[in-house]
Amino acid sequence: MNPIVKLQGITKDYGQGDIIVHALRGIDITINPGDFTAMAGPSGSGKSTLLNIISGLDRPTSGTVEIENLTINTMSRTELSRLRRDRIGLIFQSYNLIPVLTALENTEYILMLKGMPVKERQDIVRELLKEVGLEGMENRFPRELSGGQQQRVAIARAIASEPALVLADEPTANVDSKTASGLLDLMERLNKEKKITFLFSTHDKNVMARADKLLWLKDGKINDYRTA
Amino acid sequence: MLIRLAWRSIWRNRRRTIITVTSIGFGLAIAIFFICLAEGVYAQLVRDGVRLQSGHITLEHPEYRNAPAIDLFLDRPDSLRAEINTFSDVALTKLVILGQGVAKTGTGSVGVAVMGVEPSVEVLLSPIIKTIISGRYLVDSDNSKIVIGSKLAKRLHLKEGKKLVLTTNDITGALTEDLCRVAGIFETGSEEIDGYIVHAPIRFLRALYNMPEGSATQLGIVLSAPESQNKIKKRVEALIINKHITAYPWQEILPELASYIKLDRGSNLIFQAILIFLILFTIFNTIFMSVLERNREFAMLLAIGTHPALLKYQLLLESFFIGLIGCCAGLIFGGTASYALQAKGFDLANLYTAEGASISGVVLSSVIHARVTPMILLGTSGIVLAATLLLSMVSMKRIDTIQITDTLR
Ligand SMILES: Nc1ncnc2c1ncn2[C@@H]1O[C@H](COP(=O)(O)OP(=O)(O)OP(=O)(O)O)[C@@H](O)[C@H]1O
Ligand SMILES: [Mg+2]
Repeated sequence: MNPIVKLQGITKDYGQGDIIVHALRGIDITINPGDFTAMAGPSGSGKSTLLNIISGLDRPTSGTVEIENLTINTMSRTELSRLRRDRIGLIFQSYNLIPVLTALENTEYILMLKGMPVKERQDIVRELLKEVGLEGMENRFPRELSGGQQQRVAIARAIASEPALVLADEPTANVDSKTASGLLDLMERLNKEKKITFLFSTHDKNVMARADKLLWLKDGKINDYRTA
Repeated sequence: MLIRLAWRSIWRNRRRTIITVTSIGFGLAIAIFFICLAEGVYAQLVRDGVRLQSGHITLEHPEYRNAPAIDLFLDRPDSLRAEINTFSDVALTKLVILGQGVAKTGTGSVGVAVMGVEPSVEVLLSPIIKTIISGRYLVDSDNSKIVIGSKLAKRLHLKEGKKLVLTTNDITGALTEDLCRVAGIFETGSEEIDGYIVHAPIRFLRALYNMPEGSATQLGIVLSAPESQNKIKKRVEALIINKHITAYPWQEILPELASYIKLDRGSNLIFQAILIFLILFTIFNTIFMSVLERNREFAMLLAIGTHPALLKYQLLLESFFIGLIGCCAGLIFGGTASYALQAKGFDLANLYTAEGASISGVVLSSVIHARVTPMILLGTSGIVLAATLLLSMVSMKRIDTIQITDTLR
């Protein structure tokens, strides 16, 4: 089986001169199709940095990043942008949705980027929103949705273009534990039923417990790697 | 979808957008109104000026302009005149004799400009007609009757029905004089005209100057559509090619008026430019602010794979909408106000007692009318809209500087 993500010897230094922050100090990981991996670790351990490097939003100081056997280190900004559009779904902690677009339109946006015809993409999105439990809320604006519902829209958008991988940086950090557990249910179901590969970071013990694999980062290194 | 997104985005900060749109609308409306107003005044000046003189296009002896002398006349231009009369856009043609003379009474003598006119033609167009304050204007059957201005009347103690002697040199240079009677007195408010111009029937002057029957120093062409002046002038020039006649546009007959308009337009242009600059400043401010505010949102969109060009296109659409609404508001208000002033006119005498300002002897009427043309409306709003789009490009540059990871942290 070809891995979706393959990181080798990833380091990331921030800053120049005297004050260099070694955010990542040599990371090797492989994410396989269908993985449902959580990444945990203390604040400042490098979780966000690592996710940004995998998505190509940031470049490593050294090491190679392969996404579906393609080395992305040398890709241009435009190529990386297209890679994210087509192959990687992104979910953020906040600032996830466009406030002036409805749930349907927010999800539709990514398909518009791919140039899909209106009718086709709306059909897909309606189905998706039903799947994430937002049936009947398609025409609501983000401000008319709860935090959990907004994250569901974000999840729908992240999987709309059928990416190889969904990366989520603390997707449950802004919602209460009950809502978090609901979102986890959803992600888990999408993982099991649709074979969508997830990699997400979290501080939440309950969320970690739900993952099939747990990556523990500390001081920019993998401290522990467990499979359930 | 992008159009919807752009449209909704500009209403996110409803108050700011309304303020911006209002300021565009207001500024543009003022610009349009003042341009239309000025153009209306110019048009009126030209209209009166060419009617007072010898039309939009003047035909005369090639040497007359340099050394106006009565012997440089056009000999029987009847057939030429008849031909020109058939041109479309020609309202009227008028034959005039422009000569010099001395008006004498028992009180004294004053040098005057004598204008020989065809009363029945002049009555149709001369701005003088409306300013008769005593007596009447000339009629075709008048012979030794003249119409004079109020200043001249005062100086020579003349009243309607009184007699004076007109002395001059005829085409051979011989001294000649004739007795005539004042038919009416006009008062235009212009020192130059009221104290200096005398209208007399052209027949009477031909006799006085010893000019052949049917001759005149000028054949004037008054147009019904001033904008076709160049076209008509070309056609006329084709007719007179071998005739030893020159055609002049009014700009050369009334150079002071022409340069006044040019100058005034120029100074107005500075005012318009400042106004438009201020409008553009608010537009720029609004667009730029709206970009700064949405930094995180744009970073998120770039992160999920939106091409920067698409975000720029969205900004262009937003600017276009703001500019368009503003321009529409400006067009509606400025256009309506200008149009009302065009249709109804406004009497400045309501504001202050205007003491006959005149340019080139053309009196500024106290009732002003605006002049609305599609050119003014579309030109001004086109400039504002184009500048808006241009300015939005500056704001677009911000998109390229967004540091996605830092912004989303
Ligand atoms: N742009 C940057 N410039 C300098 N240092 C940075 C930058 N981004 C991150 N760092 C540093 O790199 C280290 C790792 O940061 P990172 O955000 O990846 O941690 P994290 O595990 O996501 O923390 P948290 O759990 O608080 O989100 C930290 O010490 C941080 O201060
Ligand atoms: Mg983080």
